[in-house]
Amino acid sequence: MKRIYIIAGLMLAAAIALLMNSAKDMGTYSTFAQAESKNRTVKIAGQLVKDKPMVYDPIKDPNYFSFYIKDTDGKEQKVVLLKSKPQDFELSEQIVVTGQMNNGEFLAKDMLLKCPSKYKDEEIAIRNKQG
Amino acid sequence: MNNIEYIGERLWPGYIGQTGVTLTFVAALLAATAYFFATQRRDHEDGAGWQKIARLAFFGHSAGVFVTIGTLIYVMVNQYYEYQYVQNHVSDELPMKYIFSALWEGQEGSFLLWMFWHAVLGLLLIRWAKQWESPVMSVMALLQTVIASMILGVYVGFGDDPTKLGSNPMLLLRQVMDAPIFAKADYVKLIQGNGLNEALQNYWMTIHPPTLFLGFASAAVPFAFAVAGLWTRRHQDWLKAALPWALFSGALLGTGILMGAAWAYEALNFGGYWAWDPVENTSLVPWLLVVAGIHTNLVARSTGHSVRSTYAFYLSGLVLVIYSTFLTRSGILGQTSVHSFTEMGLETQLMIFVSIFALLALVPLIWRWREIPGPKTEEPTSSREFWMFLGALVLLFASIIITGSTSLPVFNKIAKAFNPVFEERSILDPKAHFNRYMLWIGLFMGMFSGFAQYLRYQGLNWAAQKSKFWTRFGVTMLIAGAFTGLCALWLKLPAWQYWVLLFSGWYTIVANVDYLVFFLKSQLKLASSTLSHLGFGLMIVGIMASGVNKKIISESDPFLIEGLIQGGDEKLARENILLFRNIPQTMAGYDLTWTKDTLVHFTRTYTVNFKRRDAQGKVVEDFDLHPNILYDRSFEKIASSNPNTRHYLTKDIFTHISSLPVVEQNFKLKREQEEALKYKRSIVRQGQVMTLTDTLDVSNVDSTFTRQFQFRLLSTERKVQHHDYKPEAGDLAFSAKIAVQRSDIDSTYVVNPGVVLRGQVIYFFPEQIDDLSAKVRLGQEALEKVFVFDNQLNYNDMEIAQNETKAFQGYQITFKSIEQNPQHPEYQALDKDVAVGANLEIKAPDGKIYQAQPVFLLRDQKPLTLKVEVPELGLHVRFPIVNPEKKNILLQVAQAQPTGADLPIELATRSIPSNYIVLQAIEFPGINIFWLGGFLMMFGLGFAIWYRMTTGRGGALKNA
Repeated sequence: MKRIYIIAGLMLAAAIALLMNSAKDMGTYSTFAQAESKNRTVKIAGQLVKDKPMVYDPIKDPNYFSFYIKDTDGKEQKVVLLKSKPQDFELSEQIVVTGQMNNGEFLAKDMLLKCPSKYKDEEIAIRNKQG
Repeated sequence: MNNIEYIGERLWPGYIGQTGVTLTFVAALLAATAYFFATQRRDHEDGAGWQKIARLAFFGHSAGVFVTIGTLIYVMVNQYYEYQYVQNHVSDELPMKYIFSALWEGQEGSFLLWMFWHAVLGLLLIRWAKQWESPVMSVMALLQTVIASMILGVYVGFGDDPTKLGSNPMLLLRQVMDAPIFAKADYVKLIQGNGLNEALQNYWMTIHPPTLFLGFASAAVPFAFAVAGLWTRRHQDWLKAALPWALFSGALLGTGILMGAAWAYEALNFGGYWAWDPVENTSLVPWLLVVAGIHTNLVARSTGHSVRSTYAFYLSGLVLVIYSTFLTRSGILGQTSVHSFTEMGLETQLMIFVSIFALLALVPLIWRWREIPGPKTEEPTSSREFWMFLGALVLLFASIIITGSTSLPVFNKIAKAFNPVFEERSILDPKAHFNRYMLWIGLFMGMFSGFAQYLRYQGLNWAAQKSKFWTRFGVTMLIAGAFTGLCALWLKLPAWQYWVLLFSGWYTIVANVDYLVFFLKSQLKLASSTLSHLGFGLMIVGIMASGVNKKIISESDPFLIEGLIQGGDEKLARENILLFRNIPQTMAGYDLTWTKDTLVHFTRTYTVNFKRRDAQGKVVEDFDLHPNILYDRSFEKIASSNPNTRHYLTKDIFTHISSLPVVEQNFKLKREQEEALKYKRSIVRQGQVMTLTDTLDVSNVDSTFTRQFQFRLLSTERKVQHHDYKPEAGDLAFSAKIAVQRSDIDSTYVVNPGVVLRGQVIYFFPEQIDDLSAKVRLGQEALEKVFVFDNQLNYNDMEIAQNETKAFQGYQITFKSIEQNPQHPEYQALDKDVAVGANLEIKAPDGKIYQAQPVFLLRDQKPLTLKVEVPELGLHVRFPIVNPEKKNILLQVAQAQPTGADLPIELATRSIPSNYIVLQAIEFPGINIFWLGGFLMMFGLGFAIWYRMTTGRGGALKNA
């Protein structure tokens, strides 16, 4: 079984090496300030700034959606997403955008929304009763 | 509140259900204990007694599961909203065919579904497992005990803060929440159900969860056999018994995963079938492990090697199933998953669940490790088992990488526990991340599943077969290379690595077909593994063709938006296009036109026409696709947008609505917008030009600027052609063609607004001109201008006999005949009606002849008359009386021309455009290769079970 153990060992080492190497695929949630200084793709979690303009005018461009979010530092930043505006966008509790800074705008490649789930209220009700 | 005597609550199903839940748990615990002693005392006299008790207990447990599910379905079908589970998942509107979907929508229901399958499998094991029954069923019953605790809903502990154990689906709503409504004794009458999430109301939700859960449940059986093997020290015997169950698990789990992929592809708008979402990953990993286990199991049966790894694979399979449950149900995945699962306070309990079974796997394995037998000799490189084992290692490797990456939120949580200022990490681009690694894994799997087929266990006859093997290897590689080359004409792949993977896919296909044709000719019964591996190769080719190579048809012209985003990443796909109603858009060789939309119940279905033209511009293909959107119950939100796909043999064309104008997303807003519009009215004569001035505020500047709207009435018509109007009998419909111009825009727009009187209600059909932000409609007086109503007419009586002609103001009216089956737009025949029509011929002074048929009707003894109008003449004719004795009839005739050619036309400026959809269209070339491959793979697994069951081989030592 020796040879096979060597191969298995090698593969395991490769797996670990790959996972270590994949560290560059991982990132912490950044802030806009960091995105500005690093100038590479980052992931930013923030909240929608509801009193700043939100632009989605499909007649002009169905693939241009811009809005402002506030990151964990409290900085408000304009974000441009080159996709259509997702449903329930306004209801989102948290927005995670992946992308990079580009001429003072954050150009998002991808966006994930965390929406309140359907049963949130009842969940609170259960908790209250317990407490 | 406890003093209230509630009215209308139906408590008896609750008692039955609670009893069922309790029985489920207690009997499972009893069965687990009794089976444990039955195993421990198997060589003693009392062993059989323990087994008897255990069986009875397991029967009781199964009955508990079935009764609980039955009761739950009963209260759901009957809509007993006083039960929280019913209130949460059912509503009056929910069609009965989705009742099962509603059952397993919630956590408790899906735990019940999982237990249901364990119970069924357990009963089958009692029937078939023979001497393995006690140890195997100990594990199954223990598993059931732990899952049953998830739905117990009892409080354990003392003091103010007892721990809640599980969440019980049979509780009343008022037992789980406080709400003012429970102060009313008759609250049951007042409450409504929340219903099933609209996005889940499709048949996938009916078939996918049961299949996947059967897959999950079946992974428990090889696990149980592995524990049993370790426990009873029969390290060789268990291999044979476990194999068919493992094959079954592989087939079902795989089918479940593929169904999930098909669901995502067919009914959700992800734009693909696999997204490396945590939920997908954590169901894929157990499958990979079970499949790895099947391979080492075969090796172990044939050569005695790899017994330890078979143990390890089967044991980790179920542990990973439970880990997957933990990840997806504890809420720990947070924002990394698009699937939202509710947290139910079961986190700790789920963690204990994982720990119990991880320990149950680890402890016996370590305990017995040294005594597990294995040959002292090494497998030769030329043997099949060597490469099968390596293949299994590759699968393990894939499992480690996928699990590692998917578990990032767990690592974050652990790191945070030790270091509160730890910054959470996440994968920036999951799809790219996973594809990068899985590509190489796929490559190895493809190559191994090709040439390992030619090798024999233990390298039998290698010396003699060597040259033959190398020839075949070389030839199949060449053919695979040729196929890959041919694909270059068809596919565009982004990097050379994908070509390598494509090659390995083709290699598997070629090698397995070769093996099937030349080696297994007469023994198709042995073809199961060949079919599965062939399927795997096809899947790789299919993924390369449809996934990596998918084409966005609706990609916008990049030049159009250039300048909008300076320096933006040009590679960012702009995947949506805008379609105005009835205006064709050309893209990727197709002309797309949104032709109509219809709203039925909550679903609005859009018809989008695709026309493909050849080089000469001739239409070579013409078809419609029907993506739809589903409104929520209030019509204030879109609950889901469902794609529609046209299937070809060689490709699919997939399309879905990605956005709509705000007013079409929310009907309340639409009404408000319409009401808030300021219509300006003018009275216009045909041909006349009217001018309106619109004043705009200029933002930031203290001034206004004005613009002129000019419009001209072109023509009028007594019908309405509007996309929202469906003609009905008896409608008075009228529309006008109006040309509109705005001073600052060169074009003239012709619109055709209409107005309809149906019964007592007036309906407006305004027309929107998006380019001018204007809306035009006809004033309601338009109807009075065009139609003359009876109360304004002076009818003259006219007695007339058959074939008699009488004159009326220059018209010659002839009564030609009586019509026994009269046709009249406002008349619908009922059973006891007596209805006759008078066929009239009317000759105008200019010699033109017109036909008219007024109707006399006797309904319920009451005489009625249905008048006719000859609009060209302004002539109105009624038929109120039949005189059989005089042999004539009475007609009433009146003439009145509509009063005016001048019409009230109303124009609103600054209206919001609403006449468009935003659409995404994607072409998936060769997607059928993927599905065919998946099907073949599962068919191969199923075939293997059949083969082993019918021949009773169970993978017997083949070459020994």
